[in-house]
Amino acid sequence: MTQTKATGRIPSRSFRHQLRILHVLASVDFKLKYADSALGYVWSVLKPLMLFTVLYLVFGRVFHLGAISRYYSLSLLIGIVLFTFFSDATSIGMTSIVARESLIRKMTFPRLIIPMSATLTAAITLGVNLTVIAGFVAWNRVVPRLDWLLIIPLLIELYAIALGVSLILSTLFVRFRDIGQIWELLLQLLFYASPIIYPVGYLPGWAKKLTFLNPFTQTMQDIRSLVLYNDLAPNRITAAVAFGSPAGRLIPIGVAITLLSLGLFLFRREQPWFAERV
Amino acid sequence: MTSSYAFDVRNVSKSFVLPHHRRTTFKEVFLHPWQRTTYERQEALKDVSFQVEKGEFFGIIGPNGSGKSTLLKILASIYRQNEGEVRVDGLVSPFIELGVGFNPALNARDNIRVNGTLLGLNRRELEAKFDEIVAFAELERFVDQKLKNYSSGMQLRLAYSIAIQVPFDILLLDEVLAVGDASFQEKCFATFRRFREEGKTMIFVSHDLEAVSQHCDRALLLDLGVPKAVGPATDVIDAYDALGRAARTSAVPTT
Repeated sequence: MTQTKATGRIPSRSFRHQLRILHVLASVDFKLKYADSALGYVWSVLKPLMLFTVLYLVFGRVFHLGAISRYYSLSLLIGIVLFTFFSDATSIGMTSIVARESLIRKMTFPRLIIPMSATLTAAITLGVNLTVIAGFVAWNRVVPRLDWLLIIPLLIELYAIALGVSLILSTLFVRFRDIGQIWELLLQLLFYASPIIYPVGYLPGWAKKLTFLNPFTQTMQDIRSLVLYNDLAPNRITAAVAFGSPAGRLIPIGVAITLLSLGLFLFRREQPWFAERV
Repeated sequence: MTSSYAFDVRNVSKSFVLPHHRRTTFKEVFLHPWQRTTYERQEALKDVSFQVEKGEFFGIIGPNGSGKSTLLKILASIYRQNEGEVRVDGLVSPFIELGVGFNPALNARDNIRVNGTLLGLNRRELEAKFDEIVAFAELERFVDQKLKNYSSGMQLRLAYSIAIQVPFDILLLDEVLAVGDASFQEKCFATFRRFREEGKTMIFVSHDLEAVSQHCDRALLLDLGVPKAVGPATDVIDAYDALGRAARTSAVPTT
């Protein structure tokens, strides 16, 4: 045995250069996604709106959930748009490394940029959809408040969760393509397990705790209560309420940080081998 | 810290794990749970050491499957070696396996943008170099066509043109002469001469032994991942010829 050691040598380029790469890859991802489609980008707004319409008619009207609050429809719309972001970001993020196979096999650059650019394209779509929501909110005569600024860190938290999950999934997807099918099912499960179409107050105490372990539920609930429920204090069910203590807020945030750290750890450990495994 | 070496490669070994029956889906695991996947370690490189000095043109030769491209990918930090150490001093521009990883669904303009940026150009530099890249590749009429409509020769010309227009100290060239026509080869050789004047370092993988002897100072001969000879290019080419003769004679049944 020789006493030499293997060293990793992905050359570190400047931060600005990495941002440039991120920008170019994201803009190309964006272009490819809507290439050869007549309506192009309009689809990314239409899809959540159509899903909203269907679910509103079924659950809001047929099952009368719309009667519980005058904000049911807006609440549902916010939930659907946020979940669509999470679902899109993680699905595209998961396949991103394999999809960029040709670049990975021939070029050296920080691999992290690939899932970041994939999740960023989903984030751009979220931005557009949020402006649509803003329109609906204004139409409902909800008066903007200064504490709405808290939405920004909440959206950053949501992006961090989506990125963390994408990093874990994309690393696994290089080895096991089944992850694609499994994640599709898990997303369905997550959709119905999160209080998107029904109010979180419908859940028994233990289920409330369970759903607030999920940082997605927490960010969605916090954004909803910031925007909609200021005049309806009892309806503000957040992580703190579910866990029965103000410190309960920290639990889902802790889960979010854990997910992102785990994702970064796994991804960085496996990235030197991506080129020979994709 | 500055050294006179562009590459200092010490005792590098690389192996790939090849499952005999590769199981990438759980279904296969469920259907044949007791069928053991047997793994084979294919050793692509065995204890390879050499140094390339700055400003040197260094050839890597050997028969197909001898590990040349694997070695180049390790030099470019695309693969990671299992053992050994590689020190690089300088900016590397890789040209691997006939290309730089084009996206066939994008046109040449966007591919140049992606690859140029990955290789270190900023937007202003990219704009300034764009016409030069297209002109060198002689693809002015085709810049807005998708790469999937390009012939392999056109793709190669574009890839080479990008690889040499980005800032670099070390150029890694894998089979750049393989599908280009004679006039493009002549153009390549002209750029080689320019790089030599500019003091660039070049690693040149090729089956064209004449080009290797003409342009490379020294060379490395690989056979089944084992370094057989390192030294002045002409000597290494002689060693390669001897290897070929030995293989041919051992293949001839003796009566």
